[in-house]
Order: sequence, then structure tokens, then C-alpha cells
Amino acid sequence: MDFNQTLDVKGAKCPMPLVKSRKAVSELPVGQVLKVVATDRGSLADFQGWAKTAKNVELLAQETVNEGGQDLYVHYLKRTA
Amino acid sequence: MTITEGQTAVAAFTPAELYARILRDEPLFILDVRNEEEFQRSPIEGRANLTTVNIPYFAFIEDEEGAAAQVPQDREIFVVCAKEGSSQYVASLLAERGYQARYLEGGYISWGNFYDIRDVVAADWGRIVQIARPARGDLSFAVISGGKAALIDPMRHIAVYRELVEKAGATITHLFDTHVHADHISGGPALAAATGAPYYVHAYDAIHPIDMLPAVIDYTHIQEGDRFQIGEVTITARWFPGHTLGQVNYRLDAPDGRSALFTGDGIFLRSFGRPDLGGKGEAWTPILYRSLTERLPQMADDTTLILPAHFSSLDEGSADGVFAAPYAEVRATNDALRPRDEAEFTSYVLSHLPVFPAEYVEIKRVNIGLVTPCEGKAGELELGKNICALAK
Repeated sequence: MDFNQTLDVKGAKCPMPLVKSRKAVSELPVGQVLKVVATDRGSLADFQGWAKTAKNVELLAQETVNEGGQDLYVHYLKRTA
Repeated sequence: MTITEGQTAVAAFTPAELYARILRDEPLFILDVRNEEEFQRSPIEGRANLTTVNIPYFAFIEDEEGAAAQVPQDREIFVVCAKEGSSQYVASLLAERGYQARYLEGGYISWGNFYDIRDVVAADWGRIVQIARPARGDLSFAVISGGKAALIDPMRHIAVYRELVEKAGATITHLFDTHVHADHISGGPALAAATGAPYYVHAYDAIHPIDMLPAVIDYTHIQEGDRFQIGEVTITARWFPGHTLGQVNYRLDAPDGRSALFTGDGIFLRSFGRPDLGGKGEAWTPILYRSLTERLPQMADDTTLILPAHFSSLDEGSADGVFAAPYAEVRATNDALRPRDEAEFTSYVLSHLPVFPAEYVEIKRVNIGLVTPCEGKAGELELGKNICALAK
């Protein structure tokens, strides 16, 4: 998945991954993609729920990767307008 | 504890305060800010005067003004989320806008793990204590007499039971499970390891009904007619197959003539335990029918207090949260005991089976030692309310 910027919210607890992602994606140029890396498993369902009604944001993909024994939850957000 | 600089400080409320208010049926407004799926799976339930609204916290992040407009301004708002952080965040946003808002300490997790303890019977010979997990609709009991304590269907947080018994100046001597539970993790094996008291379960339930694998925990086989002396009271095991093949009811007889029947998932106050959680609903339903129609009348008198392992609705209990009723009352009000022939009963049961939660197969594995989950996984397996009774 191609992306333009990365936001590291590892260790941040709910609601901070979403609070920071909302701000970061709003600051992206239109059409660009933000990669968000979180350790909060709840972020998977919450980003999906948020993306359904979020303005000018599309959740392109989500993936779970294991890095050094720790699960990372990765979200790709595109600013659409 | 603040999570963002500049946030308005708001106060928390505890599960105990929430439960006390719910039992009193105070007009309450719960704002549940979890995502819709989690909310649907495990809403906080109350009585008539509880209003619950689900507005996920991310709706406040996306459109604070629009989300806040859906919250009433003229009453206190009890904000709930999964782990506390988001409810504190939303409560702060609301407070800044002039709302009176508090958040649930520890989030839904702490509500799910909240235990409520109260006496069902307090007599010269001792006490019967109800230990409930209101969020799950789970009930367990302690029988304390003459310095001894027997626990019936103790749950996972074993410190709750050890403190209760210690405070009563007694020692845990017997651990009885009415059956191997599918909806929650038993505290029996862990309490046996911690106290040395024997853990009793029927051998039929020590075989996983779907895996067909035997238990690897230490247990003592309980059988029909086994009797135990707990101080001044007698407890007798009565086999009641149907919900599981090894479901056992425990009858208590006290020296003053009082009796009680701990029915596990054999029969509840308003319903009864579904016979399909072993994956053999059609084969086990006739067995359940005979337990309800032939065995139950032999193990309960009109005045015998029925003490089940679950409730589905708070309305089944008394105003102060005790879930008990004499057998005569249960017989008159429980649909399970309405006279029916076997064919009618079978078709009723098989057409009223609720969803079979996938995690129930795994929980049974945990309860006989085939799987050992970590605390986080154990909590996830137990999220939400039990679905052990038939559907309405």
C-alpha cells in the first residue's frame, strides 16, 4: 500500500489514536494517504466505524503486523476532498 | 488523571454506584460511546427508568457539536466506553459545554467484572450469600455455617470469594460447580488450587461435548445422592441432566427446616437452560424434559428456595437484587414448567434456541483445562451477557 505520511500512535490509548489521526488527515493535501500505526487493538473496529461517517476521509485498508512480538494495527487513510 | 492538556476535569463513577442506582430504578441517562458493534453486543441493562444512547466517541471527534446536540442538557450524563479513556474524553467535552457529565471508572471492563454481594438468607445456623456479576447475569453462592464455607458456581475472580469467606471467619471446604459452564470461566479449579478444597463436578461434564476430549484439571466426581455436611447444614447432589449431561442441582437442608435448591442452569426463575450448547440439542431435549417434569418435583418442596446461576432480566429479582423464589412460585410463573407433553416441549425448545455464541465452545475448553487463556483473552471470552436461557 502506497502512502505519503506516517503517524506513529504506538502506545497511545483510546481515544488518542483517532484524535491524532483525524487531525493529521485533515492536514494532508487532498488525495494523499496517511499510514497510522497503533498498538490499541480496539482501533481496528473504531477506525472502521469512524470512517463510515467521517467527512472527506476514506479508510483504504487495515492490516495487523507482528513486530518483535508485538501486534501493530495499521490503518491507511486517504484524504478524499 | 488527564489525557489531554487543557481538558476539563470530570469526575468518575464506579460500577457499584451505577448498580445501586440501577437497582433503585433511578432515572439514569447512560451515554455509551463504544462503537455500535460493541454496544450491541453488551449494552448496560437496567430497569424502566434507564435510558441508554449509543453515540460512538469518534462521532464527537468528527462533529462535536452535532454529537453533543443529541445529548440532553437537563440531566446528569453517565458516559461509558470500553476501557475508560474515551468516556473521560467525551465527558470532558460535554463538561466544557456546560453538561453535567461523569465517566465510568475502568470502562465497561470494570462493569463486566463487577461483583455484587448480598445475603439471601441469614439465620442462626449461618448464611446463604449471593455473589452476582450483574453485567453478565451470572449468579453464584456461598453457604457459610459453623466456620465452613461451600461455594456454588464460583466465578473467575477468586479473590472476591476468598475475601468474603475470610471476612465471615470461615474456611472454604467445598467447591461445587452445578455443571461445566459454557458462558463464563469457572473459579472452581483455581480456588481448589489456592485453598486445597476439593472441586466437584459431574464426570459427564468433564468430557468436552464437541471435542470429545477429557478434562485435564483436578476434580472430584459428584454423583446423585452425594451428601456433605457444611457446619449445621446438609447439601445433597441431585442429578439434573439436560442443559448438560452432568448438570447437578444441590439441595440445602438447614436445621430450622428451611431448604434451598441451587439449580445452576437446570432451571432459572423465569426460564430454563438451553439443551443445545453441547451441540446435541435434539438428543438432549427429551432428557431435559424428564428432568423438569420428573426429577425436579422430587428435589424441591413448595417452600424450597430456587437459586439459579443466571438471570436474564433484573426484573426477575427483588428490588434489592436478590434472585430467589420459592419453588411453588417458580412453578406458577416459569413457562418451563407449564404442563406440556414431550412433543410439544421439544418443538417449543427447538424453536426458541437463541444464537449459539462461538466462544462458548472455547470457554468449555478453558473450564476443563484444555486451554489456558491470558487475562485479556479471558475477559474477551466473557464479554457481554450470558445466553444460556431459551429465547422469549
